[in-house]
Amino acid sequence: MTVEEAFREEWGHAVAILTRVLRDLELAEDAVQDAFATALERWPRDGTPRNPGAWIVTTARNRAIDRIRRERVFREKAELLARLEELPADEDDVTAIPDERLALVFTCCHPALAAESRIALTLREVGGLSTAEIAHAFLVSEPTMAQRLVRAKRRIRGAGIPFRVPPDHLLPERLPPVLAVLYLVFNEGYAASSGSEHVRADLCDEAIRLGKLLAVLMPDEPEALGLLALMLLQDSRRLARIDSSGELVLLEDQDRSLWDEGRIGEGLRVLERAVSLRRRGPYQLQAAIAAAHVEDRPWSEIATLYDRLVEIDPSPVVQLNRAVAIALSGRVDEGLALVDELDGLGEYHLLHAARADLLRRLDRRAEAAISYRRALELTANDSERRYLEGRLREVS
Amino acid sequence: MKYALLIHGDDSAWVDLPDEEKAALRAEEMPQWISLFEELSKADPGVSGYELDGRSTARVVQVRDGERIVTDGPFAETKEIVGGVFLVDLPDLDEAIRLAALIPTAKHGSIEIRPLQE
Repeated sequence: MTVEEAFREEWGHAVAILTRVLRDLELAEDAVQDAFATALERWPRDGTPRNPGAWIVTTARNRAIDRIRRERVFREKAELLARLEELPADEDDVTAIPDERLALVFTCCHPALAAESRIALTLREVGGLSTAEIAHAFLVSEPTMAQRLVRAKRRIRGAGIPFRVPPDHLLPERLPPVLAVLYLVFNEGYAASSGSEHVRADLCDEAIRLGKLLAVLMPDEPEALGLLALMLLQDSRRLARIDSSGELVLLEDQDRSLWDEGRIGEGLRVLERAVSLRRRGPYQLQAAIAAAHVEDRPWSEIATLYDRLVEIDPSPVVQLNRAVAIALSGRVDEGLALVDELDGLGEYHLLHAARADLLRRLDRRAEAAISYRRALELTANDSERRYLEGRLREVS
Repeated sequence: MKYALLIHGDDSAWVDLPDEEKAALRAEEMPQWISLFEELSKADPGVSGYELDGRSTARVVQVRDGERIVTDGPFAETKEIVGGVFLVDLPDLDEAIRLAALIPTAKHGSIEIRPLQE
């Protein structure tokens, strides 16, 4: 195992263990960072240790001791060093320490943190992405992202955000923000909101990796499984969504031989397991819709699934998707009427794109053109723009 | 970690009520306050709390360019004012949120949780 491979595997694990012991995320992260720097020096020279994860934790423990001796005032020193006593000095004993990553996930996604900080922190602390990588993914400068991360870590300490998995009675309010963070990361990769690449595969992969971790850590939580199934099923079409010249390809025109059968099978299996737990939720329903698309089920079935989703999540975007499914099931006028009744999506380019598409199907070309133009005004993504321009020419 | 739980509410409806109606409302909420005090002192035996007098007795002092300006307070535009405060030492923010939700006035006003700087 190279240091880079160990980094992906062991970073979140080591940060979580050190945070549990030190009760200080910033210090824990610094110590683990030091440990990997030491690994970069030593592993190529001395060979990879027998248990790389245990080596990292033990080395981080020793680096934390150095840092505490050097940087902390006397009052803190004794206390922090005493806390580190909880960690074994011997690598062989480290493997017995339980996995603390779930607590780390919940801490990074605590509702007291700003939504954008939760995403950045989760990618940094659990996923092990560098500040530069996260800054690049969210199109902000590296110093801005570094600032955001530092502020979030200070806030965790300053506000007393606990490091633990919330007790059962708090889970219904604390799990949704965690799932939302993963899905936002996935969507940022899947439909890059601006710029020239429509799909940023690295973010999709990272979200799925974190989703798998969550599914392992919470095997009986149907919505965690539902989210993973949803991401796998959507991601299975990643290659087919963009053609060789970088243009966006809609579902009905996609080359199905490009769909990733392995991902589809995995997604369907995870969804089946989620559904077998018999607690319905929005991610499971969205995954069921994605599965219906993949299996080429009739639009009337998809519309029925959206009827159920709207009951739990009546947000305008879900209502828009439901209206489109109804229209494509053959009830075009009814679908269009539902689109026109929607409130609060006037600035959402996909509303105008969907409306334009339904008008085009009804051969109301002049009205379709107006909606395509409005959609074009509102989208910042280049491949979406080219797609809409093509459709606009068709109806003009 | 020490937290201040600031109790915000609109006292304008309250101050105009006749005394007997105020007393009745207080009596109605009293069992909830008593169980709150029990919960708070279980969490931190050193907890302290104060109810602040209404807005009619408040004064606001500002010094601008060396000049002292004293006005009626709190701020004319705001309906919600701080009506009370608890100072309490708790293990973490989740516990502060749990206890804040037990304050009877959270049902119509709001509770602001502010960690004290160490």
